[in-house]
Amino acid sequence: MIGPYNSEVDDVSFALKRVLPPVLVIVFILAIWQVLTVTKVFSETQFPTMTSTMAALGNALVSPILWQAVGATLEGWIVGLIIASVLALIVGSLLASSTLAFRASAATIEVFKSIPAVAILPIVILVLGSTMNMKIFLISFGVFWPLLIQVIYGVRSMDPTVRDTAKILGVRGVRRFLVVTMPSAAPYIATGLRIASIGALILAVVAELVGGAAGIGRNILIAENGGSAQYALMYAYIIVAGFLGIILTGLFTLIETRVMHWHESQRNARSNEESAK
Amino acid sequence: MRDLASVETQRTGAPLSGVIASEIDIAEGAEYAGATSTGSQPGGSPKRRKRTARKALMTVVLAIGLPIILLVVWWILSANSHSPYFPPLSKILDQFWKLWIIGPAKAQLVPSLSHLAIGYVGGSLIGIISGVLLWRLPAVRRATSPVVYFLYVLPAPALLPALIAIFGIGEMRQIALIAFGAIWPTLLNTLDGMRGVDQVKFDSAKAMRLSPVRTVWSVVLPGASPQIAAGLRAGLQVSIILMVISEMVASTGGIGYFILQSQANLALVAMWTGILMLAIIGTVLNYLFVGVEHRVLAWFYGSRALEGR
Repeated sequence: MIGPYNSEVDDVSFALKRVLPPVLVIVFILAIWQVLTVTKVFSETQFPTMTSTMAALGNALVSPILWQAVGATLEGWIVGLIIASVLALIVGSLLASSTLAFRASAATIEVFKSIPAVAILPIVILVLGSTMNMKIFLISFGVFWPLLIQVIYGVRSMDPTVRDTAKILGVRGVRRFLVVTMPSAAPYIATGLRIASIGALILAVVAELVGGAAGIGRNILIAENGGSAQYALMYAYIIVAGFLGIILTGLFTLIETRVMHWHESQRNARSNEESAK
Repeated sequence: MRDLASVETQRTGAPLSGVIASEIDIAEGAEYAGATSTGSQPGGSPKRRKRTARKALMTVVLAIGLPIILLVVWWILSANSHSPYFPPLSKILDQFWKLWIIGPAKAQLVPSLSHLAIGYVGGSLIGIISGVLLWRLPAVRRATSPVVYFLYVLPAPALLPALIAIFGIGEMRQIALIAFGAIWPTLLNTLDGMRGVDQVKFDSAKAMRLSPVRTVWSVVLPGASPQIAAGLRAGLQVSIILMVISEMVASTGGIGYFILQSQANLALVAMWTGILMLAIIGTVLNYLFVGVEHRVLAWFYGSRALEGR
């Protein structure tokens, strides 16, 4: 467009265009929620009003009970994720380095991956009790297999030119692992970690909800058991669980876009956006 | 804009057997482009066919070798076990036969699997259709993206108590929970796959004067299908987990109920049979999915094997 260009005005209107619609949608949903509950389309025994839920959320945010629960959930999440990642990196790199080992183990790994981790929950509860260790074990077991597959995938997909170059240059052992193997497998591992971080959060909530370990999941169930007077608090906790998901996934998405900005699907998406502008 | 953080890429969770198949293809040489390891190549010489058959047999032996070894190790290690938590495998298999094959427990499979089927198929359909709609309506997509993203990352099991409050403890909340889990990965992957479709393809569609519906049906959906499949696979796994936990909390039937009930009654051998059954269900469903996916997306895996050459 020809004419005087005022970048400041443009930025403001652009920001408005981008930020306003999502905000309006959220406000609209909250308003509908309030209307439906105040007019008793949903009774109080099913659904608390939006305002009472927000009040409960406000109270919860300043109470130590919520933060202890969030801390317990996060502790299980991070420890479980670290154990699973370290094991998957070691086992995955070893298996991927030998075609025979990889082929022999592939079917077994897939079977273990398809076992829903919750299946072993009852025996884990029996052996470890409703403890943090139980939660950590469940998370590690659940996310280890998909991570392992991503590591194997990443290591196997190494560019043959890179592999041959490393061979000719005599890069071996730990150095080869750090300088050649890891960088080329990094995009796969980053994607695996992001998926695993969601899986780990789901399993943490399951361990708390079904297994009774301390954490946000247990608090949600306790609030539900407290009857309809506690429902506002229950929804407040659910909202907190959702925000936990946003923060944790956002973190790993950031890492991932960093590591795989060159990947084809990302480039296509970017160029499509540009041409759509 | 990057309105919804990208979800599973095609590579994520793709079956390892796919890698093996493509690696075999590469080993078989150019004549075997895109061929599977079954060795049914019309043009191949008998000698070559024999070699392919032997390789296929080798693959199968390798694949089932380790599981058999693991089962034998489990059998031997647990044979004299007196720990109540880890009963001998022989006892578990014996009970498994009595309970699940000829016995009463197989009735528990009916509610579980029917809830899963209804919830998963319903949720997936909703996911794909809303994905297409949101892709067609960028303004709506941008406006709803924070809400959609929130619902995607919200750990679905956390909703179970809320659904109990809304629907009571009946079947409806189990189906609703399973469907909820299936919707979001499918929706986001559909969207993401469509956004990843090459711009050239749109230009071609435009040049050929395809109608918008036709463009979506024959250009965009096929182009996005590998990613949609990845979303469906992720959705299936979440759905199975949700099926089990919806039966473990405030329920009166289903395999999850059976496992937790056996645990509560300290019938630990029965509990182990339930775990075994669940493992079998998960594995069978996963392999079924991969089988269908490979059939439907044969063109995609074929071209990827070529690329990997």
